[in-house]
Amino acid sequence: MSQPPAPDSDTFIDYGALRALVVDDSPGMRNALRLTLSNFGITKIQMVANAAEAIFQIKNRSYDFILCDFNLGVGRDGQQLLEELRHGNLIALETVFMMVTAESYYEKVVATAELAPDDYMIKPFSAELLCSRLTGILLRKRAFRDVYWHFQAQDLEASIAACDALIHNKPKYAVDALRFKGELLVALGRFEEAEALYQQVVSMRAIPWARLGLARSLHLQKKNEEAEEELRDVLERAPEMVAAYDLLSDVCLEKKDVAAAQEALEKGVAISAKTVRRQQKLGEVAYGNGDLDTARTAFDNVLEKGRHSIFVTPADFGNLCRVQLEQGDLEAVADTLKKNKSTLQANPEGQLVMAVTQSLAHTRTGNLSEAAKALDAVASLRADGTRGDAQLMLDLAGACMANGRNEEADAVVAEVARNAHDSEALLAKAKRLYDEAGRTDAGASVLASATGDVRKLNNEGVVLAQRGDYKTAVEKLLTACNEAPYNPRILMNAVWVILKYIDQVGMNETMIETARTQLREAERQAPGHPRLAGLRLQMKDVETRFGIQRKAVR
Amino acid sequence: MKFDGTDFYAALIHELKNNLGVLSMTLERIPLLGEAEHDASVDSARLLCQNVVDRLHQALLIYKAANQPIHPVLDAYSPHDLVQEIAASARALAHGRLHVETAIAADTPVLWFFDRDLVEMALVNAIHNALAHARSTIRIEAEMEADCLALRVRDDSPGYPEHILESVADGRPYAATGTGLGLQFARLIAQSHDNRGRSGELRLGNDPGAVFSLLLP
Repeated sequence: MSQPPAPDSDTFIDYGALRALVVDDSPGMRNALRLTLSNFGITKIQMVANAAEAIFQIKNRSYDFILCDFNLGVGRDGQQLLEELRHGNLIALETVFMMVTAESYYEKVVATAELAPDDYMIKPFSAELLCSRLTGILLRKRAFRDVYWHFQAQDLEASIAACDALIHNKPKYAVDALRFKGELLVALGRFEEAEALYQQVVSMRAIPWARLGLARSLHLQKKNEEAEEELRDVLERAPEMVAAYDLLSDVCLEKKDVAAAQEALEKGVAISAKTVRRQQKLGEVAYGNGDLDTARTAFDNVLEKGRHSIFVTPADFGNLCRVQLEQGDLEAVADTLKKNKSTLQANPEGQLVMAVTQSLAHTRTGNLSEAAKALDAVASLRADGTRGDAQLMLDLAGACMANGRNEEADAVVAEVARNAHDSEALLAKAKRLYDEAGRTDAGASVLASATGDVRKLNNEGVVLAQRGDYKTAVEKLLTACNEAPYNPRILMNAVWVILKYIDQVGMNETMIETARTQLREAERQAPGHPRLAGLRLQMKDVETRFGIQRKAVR
Repeated sequence: MKFDGTDFYAALIHELKNNLGVLSMTLERIPLLGEAEHDASVDSARLLCQNVVDRLHQALLIYKAANQPIHPVLDAYSPHDLVQEIAASARALAHGRLHVETAIAADTPVLWFFDRDLVEMALVNAIHNALAHARSTIRIEAEMEADCLALRVRDDSPGYPEHILESVADGRPYAATGTGLGLQFARLIAQSHDNRGRSGELRLGNDPGAVFSLLLP
């Protein structure tokens, strides 16, 4: 191999300074890859055999280049590793992540940009090809330096301006810059502009990611008919494009066409069964549709395929058990709990799932003393502040009522209702529980008082804010937050009025810290909610204008 | 545990490709000694190995795409980078035995829309042919032709035999061996690229050496 060009221009790459991480389960391949890299001057190479070791290394020091085999034997695969790295913000945008795969069909399976590697190599490949691909990506990332810098500083406006500069000055990177800009516009909630941008790319050429972006920005503007039309056409031409099925299911759900949503997810799963979140969604949608067999298979797959995924939570065990219980398959429930005992016992949330499920199973077999024991265990976990997902908590309320523990049931339902005062589906399910227990009136009053208090405080706060009385509005909404500490709508409203208040009277450190905490909680409770990006931006704006010091570290 | 045919197949291919990869890299490390007989054997072993690698890629794609058309995954790529990449692969395969040149016409756009992996596969095939037949030089070119991006592999061999030129011209299927299979595959790849009603084309010609052209709309 020839030496790299002299450091004369912006095309020089100092491979000797590049820090590389090779992830491959086969020692022979690792060694061969090390030799390949050293062929073009990369000498700072760390080699690991699996995802766990890779994460350990990456947490310890930063790498410029990660070369990872998709198939890593037992444990997480390369894609799961990448998702975990991106999800946990463990690698910077500047880091090059290249996936090595045995087949060329890999790309279609992960067409979403945020979960895709920078490039992938179909093996076996030559040192020359790897070198020329890597050089291309490093130069592109160098051109995107400003875009990334502003993005990582959460200054999305400046990041967009940097994209525009690339679009105008560097034609070679214009399409990449448009792609990045499109995602920024969506993150900022500027869906109309995003639509126009994707339309512009599509008019150059109907490339799949641009059509998908177009459909997404239509969907976010609630133009679901147009979005569906676009997606159906994309899928006709590229039937393997799984990301399009995911989006199609969202579109159908919003159109309340639940059968079509399930069908779309089933097609996606048929192409790529490994994605845990697709299986989770299929399970939820199928369960909602009363298709227990499909739901069970999907939830089974979540646990099976996602054994090493960070996206599996205790709620997934609860979901599977719920379906098995509703099918009357108590043996399967016992089996699920037994097989996953050590996982579930590892944390209080898992213990809660286990105890709730046991209480339901024992109630069903009429073993009321065991059911009571399980419910006592639940009560003590709850007393320590352990919470489960809303579905699990409603299951718990049902078990409590079946065992004559009405007061506990009402408290649980009230908590769920306060934190989801605007979720029709959950409130309807709660109402059904009371109907089945013959306590329709009691239920109506529990639900009315729980949602009523929160709704009243929230509405008063919003009205006061609209009248400009931010001070009292903040008081009302903070009280609402105390009542319903996990209610995303309330949390976001509280953040909004606090920022307005500071805007009016000036900086208040305690207030802004409260707003930050609540925004974080809202992000946890409703990840990807369309209002979040706007609130983050307002927060940033207030911080900048009142000269918060944290920006100084440049 | 239940036996899953597809998974088993995938695992087997995975392992095979790993082995082949290691073999190919091992061959790369055998030094040339300046002895004609030794060097020629090493050279042909390397070429043959890379050939098997590339055929395996094709076989996999054909296996997956059996009974359904090839769906190219289009994105914007730089034809300049592509030509340099192919040239780098060709130089690695030629090991100094042949001279590899590139020529990028001034009107070649900075970006063009195509499926990089498919196009690369087709061009690498042409490189293998050229390596087998060229006398001294292989040239990889890009230029615009009738609103299409033309990617060419040109060599100084005696040219394609008449029967191959004819069968490409009338679009008849070739004998399913060696060169024929690769060319048929390249034609499918070219045709799978379409834009506003226009399909890509594979053109073969002699000028006077073999000229392999992919035209991408």
